[in-house]
Amino acid sequence: MRFWLRLCFCGLLLLPTGPVAVGQPALRVSNPTPTLPTDRTSRVRLRQPAARQLREFRSQREFQYVEVKSEQSGPSRFWARLWSWLDDFLATKSGQVVWEYGVYSFLVVALVFVVLKLLQVDLTRAFGRAPRRSPLLYDTAAEDIHSLDFNTLLAQAEAAGNYRLAVRLGYLAVLKQLTDHGLIRWQPEKTNHDYLRELTAGSLRPAFQEITRQFEYVWYGEQNDLSAAHYTLARDARLTLQRQIATTRRAA
Amino acid sequence: MENTSPLPASSGNEPFAPTTVSEDTAFAPRTDLSHLSQHAEAIRRELSKIIVGQQALAELLLTAILADGHVLLEGVPGVAKTLTAKLLARTLSVPFSRLQFTPDLMPSDVLGTAVFLPNKSEFEFRPGPIFASIVLIDEINRAPAKTQSALFEVMEERQITQNGTRYAMADPFVVLATQNPIEQEGTYRLPEAQLDRFLFKLHVGYPTLEEEVTILQGHHAGLGSAALESVQAVLSAETLRELRQQVRRQHVEPHLLDYIARLVGQTRAHKGLYLGASPRASLALLNGAKALAALRGRDFVTPEDVQYLAPHVLRHRILLTPEREMEGQTPDDIVQQIMQQIEVPR
Repeated sequence: MRFWLRLCFCGLLLLPTGPVAVGQPALRVSNPTPTLPTDRTSRVRLRQPAARQLREFRSQREFQYVEVKSEQSGPSRFWARLWSWLDDFLATKSGQVVWEYGVYSFLVVALVFVVLKLLQVDLTRAFGRAPRRSPLLYDTAAEDIHSLDFNTLLAQAEAAGNYRLAVRLGYLAVLKQLTDHGLIRWQPEKTNHDYLRELTAGSLRPAFQEITRQFEYVWYGEQNDLSAAHYTLARDARLTLQRQIATTRRAA
Repeated sequence: MENTSPLPASSGNEPFAPTTVSEDTAFAPRTDLSHLSQHAEAIRRELSKIIVGQQALAELLLTAILADGHVLLEGVPGVAKTLTAKLLARTLSVPFSRLQFTPDLMPSDVLGTAVFLPNKSEFEFRPGPIFASIVLIDEINRAPAKTQSALFEVMEERQITQNGTRYAMADPFVVLATQNPIEQEGTYRLPEAQLDRFLFKLHVGYPTLEEEVTILQGHHAGLGSAALESVQAVLSAETLRELRQQVRRQHVEPHLLDYIARLVGQTRAHKGLYLGASPRASLALLNGAKALAALRGRDFVTPEDVQYLAPHVLRHRILLTPEREMEGQTPDDIVQQIMQQIEVPR
């Protein structure tokens, strides 16, 4: 029984289902388009909407097509106008030329920038001297040796018996004098030994080295109890150096 | 105002008052550092029997030992990192152990482990090789993070805790670790927490041409092993502890403390840094500067000391942003930039 049912099912599947299944070509039926005669007899009636209904419609909010005024602020309007002008300009032939060359220029500049960055080239030095760092670039609390009145301050420190401070002020005065003579370049981040290395004037070097040593012992070594006699030694060394600096020819 | 000073209230160019004070007594250390200098010189002399050049490295290693800090030596293979550390340990007559870090090393291989004793029916702690005064860890970055973390407690607190029991390290306790650059094959990046525990990270570079010729001459003359045996221990643990006490008493002018804090603080604000240095770095810089000043014969710290040590203290404690890394900058470049932004106290 099951066998016969399967056979029937297969037979149904194999039955021809149309022209494709049987491989016959589709029949072409000629069906001419009917042409209707123009209706010239029917009367056309124009229907007018009711005036009352029209008024009602017009009073409804949905049918009031009023142009809303822009509530943009001044800068927004400016930018909107600018973009609009740019849009119009780029639409012109000359605008397209400008746009085209602008894109090329931008790409070239970007390429040059990337190459320079990769080569780590500092272009700021290409047009003259390297940018000089400001002596007091970052720390406003820093003491500017060029604005200090060393004579007065030293006199006050000595009078008060604060010889540690006097040694410090004397050392700063020497640094200022060396800077004024172009023998060193004052920068707050430099250490005393940086200045020592910078000082190429041979005759000044040993004397400056000695007063640097004295300053470091007194100031960094916190010698608050420095005696007057010891201070006199330091002062003598400083004044000798200052006289030497004064007679040194100013560096170019 | 009446002038009570023995000096005239002027700094002008008037004749100087005659003085009878010796200059030597005026501007000399108030602390006797000759003992320290002698020992430092003896260690340098012993090291120079084998190591050619590398004076700066020897000075920095001594600084670290005096400042009670650990040192990480980084360099390509073959530049005598291990030899230098081994020789330095040999100059100190203290217990020494050496650990070769490998990828399969376990924390218990370093610290020690509890062993069950059947006859006593209890566990007994068997100390690992870390229990020495000078521990040389060779190629520290060849072990994974799990083993590295075993060193956290011992390096910072000088103790280990096992099964609730605390085992203190000997005094002195110094870890000298060597590593190849991270770019080398088979190396791991050390965790930041561990790097922070090293006082200095020192780069060991190639010798100069003249130094290399001297190395070759020594090797050709067959001095290698004989010279190695001739290196003597010249500093005991007790003496080292005394010298460290002396270093701790060094003068530091208050403005210099501010300078150190500013330098380290700036690493946290620098745009080119992803991770700045911790307050532990400030302490390391202070301790290192005190030790360096003592080695250079001064009983006070100068900004020069701080600037000299800043790259060695900070380079392993800061992380660059990816942009700066891509630009080819190094931590040393950033530290230099920072030093150029901070006014030197004067």
